[in-house]
Amino acid sequence: MRNVRTFSALALLGLATTAHGGESVSANARHLDTGHRVYRAQCGACHGAQGEGAARWERPDGQGELPPPPHDSRGHTWKHGDGMLYRIVRDGWRDPFNKTERLTMPAFGPTLAPRDIRAVIDYLKTLWTPAQRRFQREESRRMPYPPEAR
Amino acid sequence: MTGAHRRLASALSGAAIAVLAAGLTTAHAAAPRSVPQGAEVTALAFDGASRTLLKTTADALYRSVDQGRDWTRLPLPAAARRGHIAAVAVSARGKGVLYLAGPGIGVLRSDDGGQHWSPRNQGLPGREVVALAAHADQPGTLYAYVSSHGIYRSENGGGHWRLMDRGPRTDILQLIHSNMPGSMQTGWFFAATAKGVSRSMDCFCGWRDAGGLGRGVRAVAYDPGQPRRVYAATGEGLFLSTNGGEQWVRVNAPAAKVVALAVTRSGALYAAAPDGALFRSVDQARTWEAAGA
Ligand code: HEC
Repeated sequence: MRNVRTFSALALLGLATTAHGGESVSANARHLDTGHRVYRAQCGACHGAQGEGAARWERPDGQGELPPPPHDSRGHTWKHGDGMLYRIVRDGWRDPFNKTERLTMPAFGPTLAPRDIRAVIDYLKTLWTPAQRRFQREESRRMPYPPEAR
Repeated sequence: MTGAHRRLASALSGAAIAVLAAGLTTAHAAAPRSVPQGAEVTALAFDGASRTLLKTTADALYRSVDQGRDWTRLPLPAAARRGHIAAVAVSARGKGVLYLAGPGIGVLRSDDGGQHWSPRNQGLPGREVVALAAHADQPGTLYAYVSSHGIYRSENGGGHWRLMDRGPRTDILQLIHSNMPGSMQTGWFFAATAKGVSRSMDCFCGWRDAGGLGRGVRAVAYDPGQPRRVYAATGEGLFLSTNGGEQWVRVNAPAAKVVALAVTRSGALYAAAPDGALFRSVDQARTWEAAGA
């Protein structure tokens, strides 16, 4: 069941490239499976098991911090090009208007390999609508993954 | 996204969403706008490269090279008479590239400081452009707000437009782009709306009410020398924020009503009253003088 889902997600992502790509399809399926695994282990606790985000994510919480936003089609993760998403996950992020100084979105550069960061971002793309994926692909042309992640 | 938006989004299937480009969900109904009459100033801008002040009314564009003492009316094409002018923007780093926009007009571009104009509407869903902003640093990047649709971006000087975002929940009346630090991408937007100032990074990753002004804002401007310094003209006076819109304090206004604002590179603040009277402050709105006096 999961393989079927993964495969159609791959097709939507345009990752399942060629006809003779039986091998590349399974390589990409593995890539997305890795991404899903990284997501469950490292991200789901804050961003929700299904990428649904925190309950009141659009407003600062009691400490004046923006909560973890959704990564699915209701959020705005899809607005960022690959290069930007990579930077956010590698270096972390906090809204500059948060009332605290800590990195509310932790930096995963020290703990995740570049290919795992890329895998988890590519997994997030399976949570978006086709139109959102098209938009994000367009944005990624100007902001591709950095060489370390290729 | 509100519940209603979510419901609509899930009711739409792939093709319909594609038409809405990038899952930008609903369009909100355009608020009825009063058309400014006669000499009422609709926008101000300052071209730092040529040290020129620009001023628009619903049907005309003027420039002043002597801080507002003398004004020259610039020639406009017939297309500018199909609606009313609502915005004027100066391309980053000058070189005489200007843009005009307004409902019914769409976007017009001049490459020679306003002597000749041509339309730049490819990719826009219509001509109902209510607000226009030039990127603070990137010469070719522009943002146009089309009522009931959202914010379109062009990265080639208006040659082509692409829908980026539907904008804040309340219709945008005026839009500026600023290079205030701290953005995830390249800068920030401040939008004047009927409910206050809305702020977003230019990745369009979330509009937030800036500082809870809670009243209609007619014009917003920032100080290019100190980008955290933002001014907002409301129906009930002029406000200043020194922290990028987090808090506002009331400052002196030069007239009962201010309808347009501009700040020069050196921090001089210009404010226009509805009747066309123009004022200048060089001390952050503590004191004012009639411009050009
Ligand atoms: C400790 C909680 C936490 C964990 C764990 C976490 N995040 Fe975040 N993340 C946040 C918060 C909070 C924000 C919002 C920060 C802000 O805007 O101030 C955020 C923001 C983001 C953004 C920016 C979204 C946008 O639309 O601007 C991305 C992308 C992101 N996280 C991806 C991830 C990924 C991928 C993982 C796992 C590898 C992860 N996060 C793990 C808390 C977390």
